[in-house]
Amino acid sequence: MNKIFTVFKWEISKLFSSWRRTFTLFLLPAIFLVGMLNLFPILINYMSTGSLNKQPVTCVDAPDTFRNYVENTVDATAFKYEYITFDEFKEMSADKESYRKQLRKGMLVCLFFSGDFEHTFDDEVRAYYDELSKENTEAESSAIIFLAYDGGSFTANTRIEQFKESVLKDYQSSLVDTLGGGFTPIGSSLFQVDVFNPVTKFADHRTVANNTAGRVVAGVLMILMYYTTYSLVSDMFASERERGFMAKLIMTPVPRKQIYMGKILAITSIVSFTSLLTLGLLFLSSWLNRSNDAMSLLPFGMFLTPSELLIVLLTIPITVLLMTAVCVSTVFSLKNMEDITVNLQLPLIYFLGDFFLQLFRGTRPTTLEYFIPVHNSMELISETFMAQDKLWHVLFVYLLNIGIAIAVFAHTFKKEENK
Amino acid sequence: MIELIDVHKSYTKDKETIKGVSFEVHEGEIFGLLGPNGAGKTTLMQMIATLMKPTSGQILIDGLSADKNLLDIHRKIGFLTNEIKLDPMSTPNALFEFFAKLYDIPDSELRDRRDESFARFGISPFADKRFKELSTGMKQKISIAISLIHNPPVIIFDEPTNGLDILTSKQVTDYLKELRTKGHAIILSTHIFSVAEELCDNIAMLIDGSIVAQGTVDELIALAKVNTFEEAFFNIYVAHHKE
Repeated sequence: MNKIFTVFKWEISKLFSSWRRTFTLFLLPAIFLVGMLNLFPILINYMSTGSLNKQPVTCVDAPDTFRNYVENTVDATAFKYEYITFDEFKEMSADKESYRKQLRKGMLVCLFFSGDFEHTFDDEVRAYYDELSKENTEAESSAIIFLAYDGGSFTANTRIEQFKESVLKDYQSSLVDTLGGGFTPIGSSLFQVDVFNPVTKFADHRTVANNTAGRVVAGVLMILMYYTTYSLVSDMFASERERGFMAKLIMTPVPRKQIYMGKILAITSIVSFTSLLTLGLLFLSSWLNRSNDAMSLLPFGMFLTPSELLIVLLTIPITVLLMTAVCVSTVFSLKNMEDITVNLQLPLIYFLGDFFLQLFRGTRPTTLEYFIPVHNSMELISETFMAQDKLWHVLFVYLLNIGIAIAVFAHTFKKEENK
Repeated sequence: MIELIDVHKSYTKDKETIKGVSFEVHEGEIFGLLGPNGAGKTTLMQMIATLMKPTSGQILIDGLSADKNLLDIHRKIGFLTNEIKLDPMSTPNALFEFFAKLYDIPDSELRDRRDESFARFGISPFADKRFKELSTGMKQKISIAISLIHNPPVIIFDEPTNGLDILTSKQVTDYLKELRTKGHAIILSTHIFSVAEELCDNIAMLIDGSIVAQGTVDELIALAKVNTFEEAFFNIYVAHHKE
């Protein structure tokens, strides 16, 4: 049994024999993936607007209440604002071609209109609440907020939706406090959340952040885990066999199974460690991302409770074990190094496809999906982030994946020993 | 010490790579397996080294069969092939230490064995250098040192001097002679006549998976009724090779 650890230590020491090897294996894929996740929204923005810069929301005749609101509200800081007067807007939109061009580049316009040009937006709303406080049930307001954007742009559509949901909706609700005067609607908020408390801030953003993370993090981890697993299996099994070094190892008085298990233990440990490192980087990236921009794939506030974290931490090594079993089986069933490389890379296409499917799907996984090895791990991590994990899902996925891994290893080793 | 009894090997159902090979190698003997490329030398060597199972027949090492005593056999044999490429980032010292642990060599003995082995092949100055910095000859010598770390009574060398310069080749052949005098049973495969002629006490000619002639160099020359060993090989080859 101690020979398993001798082989394990040897494989680990090999990886640390050069800083380039260590960096390439442990940090490069993680940094690359986290970098890509941060670059992806910028790329989408560029593809749909032709500009790398995020356009500010152009506010026309913005009332004081709006300016004060965005200065003091966390969610509103996801956007930048440019304030212009109605006359400036008229001048800007006079050249229709140029105006449309700006909209296509991602400009969002938010125009505050009181209904006439005699008084301001705030005055109109205040007058409306006055009427309501006098119990005038037929009171009406002609105050209106117009939004202009390029409806054909994915980015503009997403940003305007977020602007409406997280800024305008709450701003409208805030008007009753700032302009309501004597009018007090039933059920209004009695206290304000302390936005400067970081714990409160995490809690505030957690649901949105975790829902996005559920779509993104699981897929990223799967791609990274498989990439690292197949690289290591390729190096520790296929290359060593090709180089004749494996023959030297199995010629020693150590049972083959112990040599293979030492290597498998090394692969599982290294990939699990790399994945945990990536998970840490994803959290760090989320927490450093102070905005909650609609296009962000790692929004601020990603957070897991200890039990949720435990599920993710256990899912990783179990999935890696299964991936290793599949890769080792592939290596042992093929002779040619080129065939091995091609066959080991093929599942990467599947994981990429699965990642994008997960990113854009709007439905919950079906029960049948929990029977698909590896994919079920992705669903489990995903639902854990979305706080939809169920105990039977967790146990079923763990037992199924461990069972399949053991069966694949047993079959592969038996076949190998009979050659 | 090494006994092959009617050994057959087929990779596919319709073609036999090794066709009923039998021979014995005794203590203090160098047995040469001579044949052209594709004759089945490497397959036969790998079967003797227990890396592959024969389809039928028996291979005994010191009376032990791989089916029942695989790990005991591994303690008795050292296998070296010129195809071994070592991890470029490892060092001779680290590799020696690793294999010493796999062979259960106690730490107290490790240093003596390493010093002796490294001194013999002139490895000592390079003991902490990475393999990528070493020459092919040096890597081959380190491979030999590691293959024989456990001082095995049976040594299997597959093309031991292939790709080596003449100086390293000389060191290797001298070492093989020394091992013979110490009583080791050595089997080597080669297609280099001079190596076979100089080293081997007994030579088997393997053509198309069968041993077509076996004996000392003089016996084979007499059998072919020619003057040189090289001519003897070609005559025997032409007589037995089927297109």
